[in-house]
Amino acid sequence: MALTRREFLLGFPIGAGAVLACQSSGVGTSAKDAYTELRRSKPSRPSGQSILVCMPETEQTEQVWTGLSDELGEKFELIAVRVDGKDSGATIAHGLEKHRPSGLVLMNNPTVAAYRSVQRQAGKGSFPPAVIVMSSFLEGHRDRPAAATGISYEVPLITVVTNLRKLIASRIERVGVIQREPLAGFVNRQAALAQLEQTAVIRETVGSDPNPSEIKRALRKLKHQVDALWVLNDDRLLSPHLIMDGWLPGLNERPWVPTIVGAASLVSPGQSFGTFAVLPDHTALGVQAANLMYDIADNDWTVPGVEDTQLPLSTTTTVDLTQVLERFALRNGALAQVDRILER
Amino acid sequence: MLTHGTAQASGGRLLVYLHIAVKQRAFQSLLQSGLPGITTTTVGRIGDFERVLQQGQDAVLTLPMVLGAQKLSPSLRGHRGGSAEEAYALVGNGSAPDPRRVSSVGTLDVLGRDGTNSFARRMVGPQARVERVTKVEDLLPLLQMQRVDAVLLPARLVSELQATSRLPLVQRELDSRVGLPAAAGVGPAGASVISAIGRLPRDVSRLLGVDEWR
Repeated sequence: MALTRREFLLGFPIGAGAVLACQSSGVGTSAKDAYTELRRSKPSRPSGQSILVCMPETEQTEQVWTGLSDELGEKFELIAVRVDGKDSGATIAHGLEKHRPSGLVLMNNPTVAAYRSVQRQAGKGSFPPAVIVMSSFLEGHRDRPAAATGISYEVPLITVVTNLRKLIASRIERVGVIQREPLAGFVNRQAALAQLEQTAVIRETVGSDPNPSEIKRALRKLKHQVDALWVLNDDRLLSPHLIMDGWLPGLNERPWVPTIVGAASLVSPGQSFGTFAVLPDHTALGVQAANLMYDIADNDWTVPGVEDTQLPLSTTTTVDLTQVLERFALRNGALAQVDRILER
Repeated sequence: MLTHGTAQASGGRLLVYLHIAVKQRAFQSLLQSGLPGITTTTVGRIGDFERVLQQGQDAVLTLPMVLGAQKLSPSLRGHRGGSAEEAYALVGNGSAPDPRRVSSVGTLDVLGRDGTNSFARRMVGPQARVERVTKVEDLLPLLQMQRVDAVLLPARLVSELQATSRLPLVQRELDSRVGLPAAAGVGPAGASVISAIGRLPRDVSRLLGVDEWR
């Protein structure tokens, strides 16, 4: 399906931190929030303990719920409560009061923000351990709620490179990334991990509030030095203005370099932004979160290793086949390693 | 979404639950062309397998240990090199893992938490903490991110794992062997579906680790 540039931009969930599904909730207010239980699973081997799952209603969160409930539902009662935005603290507080859960699962950034406000208002009270999923840049986050761990939403660069090498016939040794200074630490950690797979990361740093010319300049510089580009899910780098006047012109001039993005909406035949999107597999993310919850339960319902967060293990790959066929060579059988193929 | 894919046809319904080294989309497509006339559903997780099985099928194709857990008996078994079982291997980063010293092992989630943990500990020893993943490709990140000492998988898949990584991956084949894919009838058209499995194209059977069906 080919999109016009306008349709492409309209389809991309930009705006005030809305790069990913992790930020996709609308704004709610505590006064308007009605406490709604979306799902409830009854355990076949009940332990008498419950887990409160705070989530917005999206396709992705439903998939995470499936993974969670398949894994945890046998032993624990799982209650899914609808949380719509960072002002939904009252909803979470009501759920905690009503169910006294042994553990919590928090899905997406606004839900985490809402829970943080619950903790702030409660002062020094004790809280059940929480597992955070679908929250961007969770690793190294200074303002994480107390007694919480989780799984970062960003697919690690090492996984991105491994997937790309299975698909593209040319050598992938050096990966370029445009970064803002606040994300330099994240990129450094990813680069260190990617080095295990003999991948060098070439960084181009732009200002905190870059203009399209900076993006184009950075792209031109990087494209002559690297075998692939990795686009960070940084909403400050992916505003409609920067996509339209910086990224798209910069990426659609020679030399061609395969571009990996972390949002499916950035892969669209006809626009030639991302060549591939590598995203977390949301059902598998639910399974991974469930395993983390089992670890917590085995640790007497305390978070083992407070500073530790995990990286997502399982991913899905989407390819813009039109762009690939025009610009790159695929390995034999490469498409058998792709979950979703888009073409004009 | 319960399933990875369903190919619609009228000659019986087959549920396939196997972990292989290609994406479920590609696997579904191969089965669709290899089993004309049969409605094939492929799934990659035990939860989905149980749900789809309850919806009504004529036959299932999976590992014998999964059939056993469902109290089903195989009526057709895959063989390779004359054997209905295959070797499993432990793969580590940098050196061949010693099963007695592995404190954490990654493996494919075949039977759910309790069943898979028991299976993995039977293979490597009771000391091992088990990390389960749902796809063959997810075993490598466990090693890359140093989440486990070793991963456990069918030995035939080790070369695929090694080909996708530049880590110095080293394997140790284990003594215990595990049953190759097998089929069981669960519905009225079970016999005809199983007969069709026996005629699967050779390249599809090989993908499952099988060179002959008996």
